[in-house]
Amino acid sequence: MVDKLRLGDLNRLLLLAATIAVLAGAVWGSRYDQRLLALAGVYALLVLGYQFIFGHAGALSLAQGSFFGIGAYVTAILGTQFGQEFTVTFPLSILVPLLLAALVAVPMLRLETHYFALATLAFGQTVLLIATNAEGLTGGANGLPGVPGVVIAGLAIGRGTPMLAFVWLWVAAGALLSWQLTRGLYGRGFTLLRAAPLVAATLGIDTAGRRFTAFVLSAGYAGAAGALYAHTIRIVSPEALSFSIMVICLTMTVIGGRLQVSGALVGALLLTHLPEWFRPLQEYYLVANGGVLLAAVLFAPVGIAGLASRFGSRRSTPSAPLPPTKPVTAASPDGARLEVAGVGKSYGAIIALDNVDLSMAAGEVVGLIGPNGSGKTTLANLISGFDRPDSGTLALDGHRLSRLPPHRIARLGLARSFQTPLMPPGLSVRDTVALARSHIEGASAHQALTDISRTALSRAQAAALALLHRHDLAAYSELPADSLPHGVRRRIDVARALAAEPRLVILDEPAAGLTEAEAKHIATLLRQAADAGTALLIIEHDMNFLLPLADRLICLDRGRIVATGTPESVVKRPAIRQAYFGLAP
Amino acid sequence: MNRIKTSLTATLLVIAPTVGAVAEPPNIPVLVPLTGFLSLEGTSQRNGATLALEEATARGLDVAFDVSDTATAPETAINAFIRATDQNNVVAMVAPMLGTQMLALLPLAEEFKLPLITVSGTAKITELGNPFVFRFFPGDAVVKRAHARYAVEELGIKRPAVIFQTTAYGQSGRTHLSQNLTDLGSPPVFEEALEVSVKDMLPTLTKARQAGADALLLHLHAGSTALLIRQAAEIGLDLPIVAGSAMHQPSTAALLEPRELAGVCAESGSSPISGGSPKVADFAARYQTRFGSPPDAFALGQYDGVAMVLAAIEAGADNADAIRRSLSANPYPGLAMTYRSDGTGNMAHDAVIICYNGTDRIPQVVQRYESPQ
Amino acid sequence: MLMAQLLLNGLALGAAYALVALGFVVVLNTTSAVNFAHGEAVMVGGFLAVALTAILPPALTGNAFLLLPLVLIAMAALGLLLSWVAYMPLRHEAPTSVFVSTIAVGVILANGVNALFGAAPRTVPPLLAGGPFTLDTAVLGTLTISRQSVAIIATAILLIGGLTLLFTRTQLGRRLRATAQDPEMARAIGINTTAMIALSFALATALAGAAGLLLANQFFISPSEGGTLMLKAYIAVVIGGWGSLAGAVIGAMLIAMFEVVAAVWVSHPVAEGLLYATLFAILLLRPRGLFGEAAGRRA
Repeated sequence: MVDKLRLGDLNRLLLLAATIAVLAGAVWGSRYDQRLLALAGVYALLVLGYQFIFGHAGALSLAQGSFFGIGAYVTAILGTQFGQEFTVTFPLSILVPLLLAALVAVPMLRLETHYFALATLAFGQTVLLIATNAEGLTGGANGLPGVPGVVIAGLAIGRGTPMLAFVWLWVAAGALLSWQLTRGLYGRGFTLLRAAPLVAATLGIDTAGRRFTAFVLSAGYAGAAGALYAHTIRIVSPEALSFSIMVICLTMTVIGGRLQVSGALVGALLLTHLPEWFRPLQEYYLVANGGVLLAAVLFAPVGIAGLASRFGSRRSTPSAPLPPTKPVTAASPDGARLEVAGVGKSYGAIIALDNVDLSMAAGEVVGLIGPNGSGKTTLANLISGFDRPDSGTLALDGHRLSRLPPHRIARLGLARSFQTPLMPPGLSVRDTVALARSHIEGASAHQALTDISRTALSRAQAAALALLHRHDLAAYSELPADSLPHGVRRRIDVARALAAEPRLVILDEPAAGLTEAEAKHIATLLRQAADAGTALLIIEHDMNFLLPLADRLICLDRGRIVATGTPESVVKRPAIRQAYFGLAP
Repeated sequence: MNRIKTSLTATLLVIAPTVGAVAEPPNIPVLVPLTGFLSLEGTSQRNGATLALEEATARGLDVAFDVSDTATAPETAINAFIRATDQNNVVAMVAPMLGTQMLALLPLAEEFKLPLITVSGTAKITELGNPFVFRFFPGDAVVKRAHARYAVEELGIKRPAVIFQTTAYGQSGRTHLSQNLTDLGSPPVFEEALEVSVKDMLPTLTKARQAGADALLLHLHAGSTALLIRQAAEIGLDLPIVAGSAMHQPSTAALLEPRELAGVCAESGSSPISGGSPKVADFAARYQTRFGSPPDAFALGQYDGVAMVLAAIEAGADNADAIRRSLSANPYPGLAMTYRSDGTGNMAHDAVIICYNGTDRIPQVVQRYESPQ
Repeated sequence: MLMAQLLLNGLALGAAYALVALGFVVVLNTTSAVNFAHGEAVMVGGFLAVALTAILPPALTGNAFLLLPLVLIAMAALGLLLSWVAYMPLRHEAPTSVFVSTIAVGVILANGVNALFGAAPRTVPPLLAGGPFTLDTAVLGTLTISRQSVAIIATAILLIGGLTLLFTRTQLGRRLRATAQDPEMARAIGINTTAMIALSFALATALAGAAGLLLANQFFISPSEGGTLMLKAYIAVVIGGWGSLAGAVIGAMLIAMFEVVAAVWVSHPVAEGLLYATLFAILLLRPRGLFGEAAGRRA
């Protein structure tokens, strides 16, 4: 089957060009050409790994260079001081950085953006400090010379062509693994994770788990690259851990492309050769190198492969329709019971919720109304697990919610739409909705590895298409969701919330910005879902939309429930009439 | 298939070391760090080497050379090396100051059978039994013995503090300095490693004083050396300072006022700006004219080393092996000293101690430690 | 008394680092972009002073106080160029594109200076030279107070105070902050955001020039030093709280205190290790820096 998301035709051309360059170098290249190509292969592997955490997970890790150095040191120390062969040193060079990454990931991945970057930077500087000063183990600043070449079962891989081929064999393996991991339903989920981590979590995608996987994978790749570096250079010194390696890796990734396998190869090949081409300029050669880097990022800010994707064929070959794992219903037959008891929450001096009780039965439609700042969204956030209550309990079908992360709550059957519908950039409407089926189809790194024909993706897409038909959105299915008008995006958001076969759905102003006809259509679909057993909690200001739909209304004001009952009984209350219908009490 | 076979064979033929290609002049590539933290020393190296090569060309010797930057990473040095060997008739190479890069190049030199001419001080490069390395600057084993002997024997130091840099240069020098001090009965009472980025030396000076040190023995790069000397003068720390070879570089002294330098001594392989002989003074003048800055001992050592190779070529050595044999067998009267291999590639066995008198930035050679041979 | 001396030295070094960090924060506050060329800009400021000292008559340059305005003006121009070349074309792209464009500019600056000036560390005249340049110290008991240390601290206080006033009390500062928080909104209410961004780059790079000039006298400057300075500014800004001026100053002081004060009890490498350990601790306890965030996070 032909991949159609990331590998546009131009990217396949890039891949081909890189392969030809390496093959040509292996056959006709001078020693110098082969040496640079081998080094480019080492960096390509490093960048392929970095794409997981920096490209797919979107976290600026500044530790990739350090994991590279650690891998190199493991090979060097075991090779020079313990006389170990490649078959022992290589797996350990991958394993040690991988385990270290797993260890530091737990506290570090909690941090956001630049704080995460700083933590990874400080980690790298600490490792560098140790390597420079622990002279007994690491040889200090001089490093460890005499790293043995690659010997496998008595067979030595010589310098030049054999080593070049050997390095690129690993690059090919790494590229294949990376491609397989990221081209299916699991890989596509990262687009949503980067653009809107909260949305991803409410769809049952374990964002923290995926960041962890990406970080650990990137460290493993870096370790492998470091080991091959040690075998190619035959000496490992603190230079391998220095920040300049990190800068090279970052630059290769941005210039080549953050997400595409072809980007890693092209970035590594180009940036390894670039300074060498400028050598005739003597002392100004690095100035010229900087100039070209600058030009490259100005010309292609999304990277060369990113640019190729943009110009690459967007026409997709329709995939063979596979039936979804579970038949698509508007909702699962059994709705959930929500129990909120005595919940309180304050932010500093502001009391957002004060002793709120709410219970909902399966199939019940509850409208949540109240002025701005009355605590409606806070309540929704507490139920979704974005925030923890100060007091009280929340339970879904008897499962206590207050300790669970959002994605676990989502997997218990909660779905949610948001005030501002967030669509991951560049993803088609069909795939945007298909992502909501991630946990139903069991999307995971493990599945991505074994699911060669991408059945999970096909099934999720089929389910999404069926749902889009029901929601009258089929015409948009191949268009990028983030480019559509607000009203359509809101309808997609509702469809996405229902796609996960939820048992309780929280909808935050689903009718806002819709035409009357659109709102009516949504109301019909929601009614169908409720009739099938799904409980709906709808935050809404639009009474024309809400009144016919809701079985019960709850009115919040300054964090307290001030009214509850059937829509008729609640709207009869003077305060409500004044607030919502502008009528005198 | 046949075509691929042919080209494979052709490639293999190219890979086989090309020795003594016809009609090409002998080629001596210059591989030195011109960017990064060791570019100051690397530039001296380049200047010394190119001056020797240019003067040889001017007097009619047909030699080719080009200069490549090795920056700071070992792989850059290896790239430059392999790139250089793709040229014809390479007979020797000027190899970088940086110990790590030398250690990376040594196996390649052996594989390609090419003599490396360097001024790197890192002791280890001549301790590995590699017959292709030739060092024209006294190694740590030589200068650190002079350093320690001057401090103990001439200055009567009993409780020295050893302050060194966390680089290959610093760590290698520290090992030898401390060992020599211990052998002379004055083991260091305080040792500290400084990153190149350390800006304020007061903590180190304080700790040295608290440890009861009666002298500061430095093995630091130029910037750190100057910072430490200036701060010691600023707080009126009245301890003798014997610095490492970085101090003798004119650009280091230029950072300090003459009175801050008063009484500061340093070890070095030579001190070309101090004069000494008419030949050295003449070299210093030519160097100044050519590069617009005064020479240091690294430039002179590299000049002598390349001059020795050129002399061997003029004497008929026309390939790498002949040059290697000539370098390892014969003595050579260079400008700084007479060079002679000790069998491991150490060519320079003399060290000098220079001191500043506080009136200018030109040091005087106060002590010369000749080779024991 | 030793403690007082160490604190004074730490304060001077911290003030120099704070000046480096401040320019970094200014760009951050207007553009939310990380300017990786900032360390190199500091280095260029130092070398600009070196060049001016060499070409101008000694009467003008014997005292960096007269040199300072020239450096500020020239560096502001460089800042404009920097924004025009490395930031403006990428302002609507992912923030990481700006990392690479500024890294590239840094490479150009570092290697350009290396090629033009050579690799040797250099020094420039002190800020306030009265009579002889160096050893210009007053001795109070056992406390040695160098004029340059005092000058660095005073300049830092002046510039930090000025910046704080600029950002909190002036119309211009409010516009700069509005541009940082929501460029769309800022444009909608009639702020010329392009001019604000260019101005912040000019301001930041001029500050870098001042930092370079002050650092070069006290601690020398060499072409390869930009990276280290950048790392320190980055650490200072993150532990202080992304975008907080006061936080950046405190962060810079913290780094300097580890380098100067902590290094008296333990060795320098251990002091550096302790600094990183402290960073981890701060991030664990306060995941958004000591002072919380001031700059909008659009990354």
